[in-house]
Amino acid sequence: MKHLPKHLQPRWRYLALGLESWPDAEVGRRAFQREAWYATQNLLGDPGSAAVDLSVLRFSLADGAGEAIVRVRRGETDRARAALACVDEVDGDPIRVRVRGVSGTVRAAEEKYMRGPSDDTEETRVAFRGADRRALRRGDRVDVETDGGFRGATRLDCE
Amino acid sequence: MYEAVHAVPHGASTVARHAATAAESGFDGVVVRSRPGDDARDLAAVRDACDVDVVDGVEVVADGPGSARGHVGNLRPDHTLLMVRGGDAATNRFAVESPRVDVLTAPTSDSGAFNHVLARAAAENDVAVEFDLGPVLRSDGGPRVRALSRLRKLRELVEDAGAPVVVSAGPTSHLEQRAPRELFALGREIGLDEDAVREGLSRWGDIAARNRHRQSDAFVAPGVEVEREDEP
Repeated sequence: MKHLPKHLQPRWRYLALGLESWPDAEVGRRAFQREAWYATQNLLGDPGSAAVDLSVLRFSLADGAGEAIVRVRRGETDRARAALACVDEVDGDPIRVRVRGVSGTVRAAEEKYMRGPSDDTEETRVAFRGADRRALRRGDRVDVETDGGFRGATRLDCE
Repeated sequence: MYEAVHAVPHGASTVARHAATAAESGFDGVVVRSRPGDDARDLAAVRDACDVDVVDGVEVVADGPGSARGHVGNLRPDHTLLMVRGGDAATNRFAVESPRVDVLTAPTSDSGAFNHVLARAAAENDVAVEFDLGPVLRSDGGPRVRALSRLRKLRELVEDAGAPVVVSAGPTSHLEQRAPRELFALGREIGLDEDAVREGLSRWGDIAARNRHRQSDAFVAPGVEVEREDEP
């Protein structure tokens, strides 16, 4: 197929996302893409999601932290941002999505906003609310495993 | 801009984790929604460790105006920000008619429990009404449509009455927090303009600042203050 003339090619914007979840979440690019599409369609409807035309280009999430690059049409970044705010879980795993920034090319988005693999996660035991618990520590952030699931804490809560 | 958060044991994240996340998202602070009877928290330590303000708030969750009234009297002197969780019409009415209450939260959890009379009372008594974006962010289908239509009705009522508004995503864990810019974008989609959302997020801080001033030693009554005497 012949390429479109340059002035008719779609213009894109690239949203660099920071992601956070509980450390046991296993989420892949496809699952995240599906949730992002659902969220877009649910919030903006079919015409809105066609206009935003969102797709997930890069995705990584491990041990509760990750990042992604999402491509949307230029001029629709705000609506995409609103839709992405409504992605609250993927396959039952709660997830926090934050837009770190918007760029005109993938490369600029990567260089400016992607930080690569996050701090090493180490498994440790902490005293949390009067009990000795297994926990996963990433920098100052500590995810404590309790009987009712993970609890988000920081170093400050575990001393 | 502030976010009002549910912390452990009523949520899945501690105050410190909420504060660290809020700092990353671009909030100026968090308001803790503790409940009557919670253990005392060392918020000063969190405030020192994070770059954001942490406001000592309490949210009264009562079955009716009778027990809410008791809690409000007991808790007012000890907390910077006092919220009453709305619900049925009687509790909503009690909250907006009490000048000692700062914020009526989740006023539309029971549909039809908020009306123009209550909106006017909220304006008169300077009780802020919460726009809870939680159900918009975290539900879909029928429940979300109902949440949106209640929010729309609530907006019309408070705009007409000129009652103060606070906005929150009501996060129960740090994963449920959304950054201010995300909330602005969401607001635009659901008919709240950016300024309204910004003002609603900022008002938490304004109320906290006002109450801290009122609770400081220099404050005697509105308009009456003790000024430090100059050194001779």
